[in-house]
Amino acid sequence: MQTRASQRDRTLCVITAALFAASYVGAAAALKSLEMSSGARIALALSPFPFFVAFLVAEIRVLRQVDELERRIQLEALAIAFPAAVLLLMALALLERAVPLSPQDWSYRHVWAFLPLLYFAGLGVARRRYR
Amino acid sequence: MKNRLRVLRAERGWSQAELAGRLGVSRQTVNAIETERYDPSLPLAFKIARLFGKLIEDVFEPEGDGAAGL
Repeated sequence: MQTRASQRDRTLCVITAALFAASYVGAAAALKSLEMSSGARIALALSPFPFFVAFLVAEIRVLRQVDELERRIQLEALAIAFPAAVLLLMALALLERAVPLSPQDWSYRHVWAFLPLLYFAGLGVARRRYR
Repeated sequence: MKNRLRVLRAERGWSQAELAGRLGVSRQTVNAIETERYDPSLPLAFKIARLFGKLIEDVFEPEGDGAAGL
């Protein structure tokens, strides 16, 4: 049993997350401002995927190295974040039916960013419990 | 679950970090067990008991009578 994930794997996790975020922001900005063929637009829209997969691999490697309490904390964070995310998406779906929502203000494009925030909120709650 | 981890650790003069290193867990895990916020898995509980040369029931004790009749 290893005490902590190796520093190398943690660093890799941060780097791949940063690359994913940068590629997402870059792709979103380019799709908004540049004129391109639809094939190029689709390729650009999918361009952050490899970075996310790299992040996922790095994250799983880290998760496999942490001890049992940290795994419990991660599980509890997800147990909080997942239902909260479902609730958020459900509320958005119902609100879309209830009132006309502008896709410029409310769409999956905006809502997905809340999902990692919910995970970090869940992580904070779980960490506090075992502090 | 109640435990005597803090007492046993203090008897040996180990810090939480030192005990954590010996057990292969984080200091946070040792702290959470000592403060009884976290019950360790059975393999970790055995590891702790063996490290102190004790039986598992000498280190950990179930709260209440729930397990007494099992």
